[in-house]
Amino acid sequence: METNYQSMQSMTNKNWKIMAIITLTVIAISSVLFTRTLVNNARMETNLDEYMPKDHPAFIYSDQAEEWFNIKDGILIAIQSQEGIYNPVTLQKIKDISNGLIAMPEFDANDVVSLYTADNIIGTEYDLDVTSFYTYVPESEDELRKLRQDVRDNEMIYRRVVSEDETVALIIAGMDSDVFTQEFYHDIMEFAHAYGDDNNVIYVAGRPIVEGTMALLGPADMKRMVPVVLIVIALVLYLLLRSVRAAGFTLIGVFVSTIFAFGLMAALGVPVYSVSTMIPVMLIAIGVAYGIYFFNHLNQFSRNNPVASRIDGIKYTVGILWKPLSMAAFTTMIGFLSLLSSQVLPIKYFGLFTAFGILTAFVLALVFLPAAVLLFGHRNPKTKNDAKNQQSVALNRMTDRLLAGKKKVFIITAVILVLAVGGISRVWINSSFLDNFEKDSDIVLTDAFVNSKFGGTSTLNVILEGDHGDVFKMPETLELIDRMQSETMMLAEVGNSFSLADYLKRMNKVMNADDETYFSIPESREMVAQYLLLYEMSGDPENLNKVVNYYYDRTNVTFQLKGDDSKTIHAALAVIRQFEDKFFEQGVTINYAGSGYKALVFTGLILEGQVMSIAISLILVLIILSIMFRSIKAGLIGAVPITITALISFGVMGLLGIPLSTTTALLSSIAIGIGIDYAIHFLQHYRMNLSGSRSQLQVLYKTMGQTGKAILFNAIVVISGFLVLLFSVFPPNRTLGALVSMNMFTSLIGTLSVMMILIYTTRLFFKTSKAQSREPDNNLS
Amino acid sequence: MKKTILITAALVAMFTIASQQATAQLSGQQIMEKVYHNPTGDDMQSELTMTLINSRGEERIRQLKQFSKTNDDVEKKIMFFLSPADVRNTSFMNFSYTDGSDDDQWIYLPALRRVRRISSDGKSDYFMGSDFTYDDLGDRHPDEDTHKLIGEEQVNGRATYVVESTSKDPSYMYSKTITWVMKDSFLGLKREFYDRDGKLLKTLLIKSFDQIDGFWTILETEMHNVQRNHRTVMSIKNVQYNTGIRDNQFTERAMTLGL
Repeated sequence: METNYQSMQSMTNKNWKIMAIITLTVIAISSVLFTRTLVNNARMETNLDEYMPKDHPAFIYSDQAEEWFNIKDGILIAIQSQEGIYNPVTLQKIKDISNGLIAMPEFDANDVVSLYTADNIIGTEYDLDVTSFYTYVPESEDELRKLRQDVRDNEMIYRRVVSEDETVALIIAGMDSDVFTQEFYHDIMEFAHAYGDDNNVIYVAGRPIVEGTMALLGPADMKRMVPVVLIVIALVLYLLLRSVRAAGFTLIGVFVSTIFAFGLMAALGVPVYSVSTMIPVMLIAIGVAYGIYFFNHLNQFSRNNPVASRIDGIKYTVGILWKPLSMAAFTTMIGFLSLLSSQVLPIKYFGLFTAFGILTAFVLALVFLPAAVLLFGHRNPKTKNDAKNQQSVALNRMTDRLLAGKKKVFIITAVILVLAVGGISRVWINSSFLDNFEKDSDIVLTDAFVNSKFGGTSTLNVILEGDHGDVFKMPETLELIDRMQSETMMLAEVGNSFSLADYLKRMNKVMNADDETYFSIPESREMVAQYLLLYEMSGDPENLNKVVNYYYDRTNVTFQLKGDDSKTIHAALAVIRQFEDKFFEQGVTINYAGSGYKALVFTGLILEGQVMSIAISLILVLIILSIMFRSIKAGLIGAVPITITALISFGVMGLLGIPLSTTTALLSSIAIGIGIDYAIHFLQHYRMNLSGSRSQLQVLYKTMGQTGKAILFNAIVVISGFLVLLFSVFPPNRTLGALVSMNMFTSLIGTLSVMMILIYTTRLFFKTSKAQSREPDNNLS
Repeated sequence: MKKTILITAALVAMFTIASQQATAQLSGQQIMEKVYHNPTGDDMQSELTMTLINSRGEERIRQLKQFSKTNDDVEKKIMFFLSPADVRNTSFMNFSYTDGSDDDQWIYLPALRRVRRISSDGKSDYFMGSDFTYDDLGDRHPDEDTHKLIGEEQVNGRATYVVESTSKDPSYMYSKTITWVMKDSFLGLKREFYDRDGKLLKTLLIKSFDQIDGFWTILETEMHNVQRNHRTVMSIKNVQYNTGIRDNQFTERAMTLGL
């Protein structure tokens, strides 16, 4: 071997240096170019609708239904007055807020609902009167008393825009999801809170606000935390590598690969999605590993060859690393590229650009690190020999212990995996946005307050379609809708519902002198049709368009839910689905729409894609490792760390009740990225070492000393970095930190204990080398 | 010499002014008054087909038989639904007063067998879910607006006056309307309605008109609400003027009798 790189020294040092300078310049220039594209073109995508796959039937349907019935998420402005809302000041504020919202270009007049804008349909024996509740703010006691009574008598308004205890009024402003911006978020908050005073407290809630706050808080928190994470990683990296330059070069490598990934994204006009924030997480975990492998081998070489030149060390390191590194990078990239099978666009992009980032990190490890070391040098850490020995003695002892206690290790692993599988069955998907916030945060408290006073801040739209026109003029169909509403509303989490049936019950009562006994579905189709015609002639026909189409073969039933989490939506769906058969008998089919439902389907798709991706990765790794090492056994053993990491990752989430969401589901990608990496490096070095030695145990010691140490270092660096996120103020980022750390830890343990023992006990690769050497094995029993 | 020049100049000047006055155009106000006073007969009956078309192209078609009679101070109108079948014989009666006081409206629902008075906030309400307000349908008195002739144009080969009308009531639902009035018949051919923000809200187009029994009659119009992309087409047929409809045709009892 030594002669090998001596003979390679045909090129002069000078030529190498020129090449190194060119390399660094090229990297620097392309980094600057990518940074410039990034600065100029980067666009954050905050509209969650853009995340949904456009061609998925559930989304196509929901989008269509949203268009049919003008279904929009509403911003809810609640005004609370302790002495009751029926006073001139509060009523004036309700009027001003309503008019102020209507005047904003983001809202259509029809989409603003409040006591001020609502129609009041009232009837007497001979009259039908459609009026506003008030146009001019009532001042006198009598007028105020009348207004209060009008509201109490109108079940379409009472408890919907005025709370039952009459201390809170609601102004609902529906808006299109694509008009929400950060500026608008600030504007609307400022606008609403300007109406607050000593007696009138303003609350702003609703899904657009929750989404907006989340889009604001998540990245802001990340911006604060990422520098700390990087500093900790740099520090720990320095402590482990004992060299400022080694740590610095490694970090620069990670940084440049991230710039390249995001730069390419910007250059291709792909917006930054919230899941894209996971790309740097992956690149840090993987890029740090590449740096550690590089400097570990470099240090080892210079320790063993104290007089060798810089160039020799680099050549040796690149020579020994390029194979496992390219294998690992290649398989990891395939693992991420398998995410292209996902139906969710941001996940596809996540896979694609992470793969590109890994390619960059890989090239940088073989090009940038050598060039940097060549030009700027790198001081080998002066590890004292006894310290070095201590380290390897400790590692050897650990290896011995693990091998001796392999049964224990297997049993413990088996128990943990059984527990994990049990946990996986309890994993639940949560599409809630609200659950991302602290329980005592403003947004959660506001939401809880509005929920306690009104039907609910979240909505679920049930779309019914009949097989012929006028089916929703039929009393029996309307009765069924009414029953579905009242049965679903028996759930504590379902606060209210609204449909065509409510209009008809109201009309029926009003046309029968406000007699409560007529608060029911009219008895004949003719009566239904005539009430509807009457409503069109006297009320605002736009209101009807929100519940039924022109042919009366399509209708929209809205349920108000007190939570946006998957459990609440599923509970409501369970009751509603019981009506499917009965509707089917009448030729009516049920579908669902609205942002809450879409989020539910969406999260399911992410999970599906993620499980698919892990499965694809596992099979690919099996195949690739089997081919690389020409052994199916190697393939199977190499798949162990990924399997363990993925199972434990999902299992722990199930056991701890951490719901799967967009980000937490993606975290299992670490299992792919890191698991592949560790397995390949370990197997490759083990096999390489095997060719020079005859004792399996010695080979194992050596591999543990090199690769094992590198893996350990990598895990320590990344874990300590991500543990910092536990101090984040944004709960999802805390979960992220904890789960990344845990996945790194299980990958580490999976590789260095279970896989290592498996390699030893199955005598992997050993037959061939035994055949070559034909010398007796050093037995360990 | 100087004097004659001066006199000639003065004469020329006077003549020019005079001739200008002789060919003076009608003012916006005069045009709109002519439109308003277009003779319509004492009474009229016809069959109305109203087609509502929403932005998705869904159509709602309603057929009604309508009778109207104009006295000095009130225009009475009664309509009976012919179809759809489930609203047949539903009737609607409207009294519109020339003094500008609120309309009186009644509705009769056969399923309920009772006539109801409808009181509603104002004339800006839309008529039966259509794109026409009651105001758009009825003749708005020209004195309610100030009119300005802003040009003359050829529309579909017809010479028209273009008149811009602004309401004297600043809270009126339209900031202004622009009407293209045919020079020969003084029928409006086209009208644009602008909302309070000054944006185009609706376009009214006369698609077919004819002289029936000597009266200019609009046979088909289309109102297009451009902001919500909704259309209403109204067409009438079997038009008869001055058949001597009696006053007792316009009573609550008549409403309940149907056709």
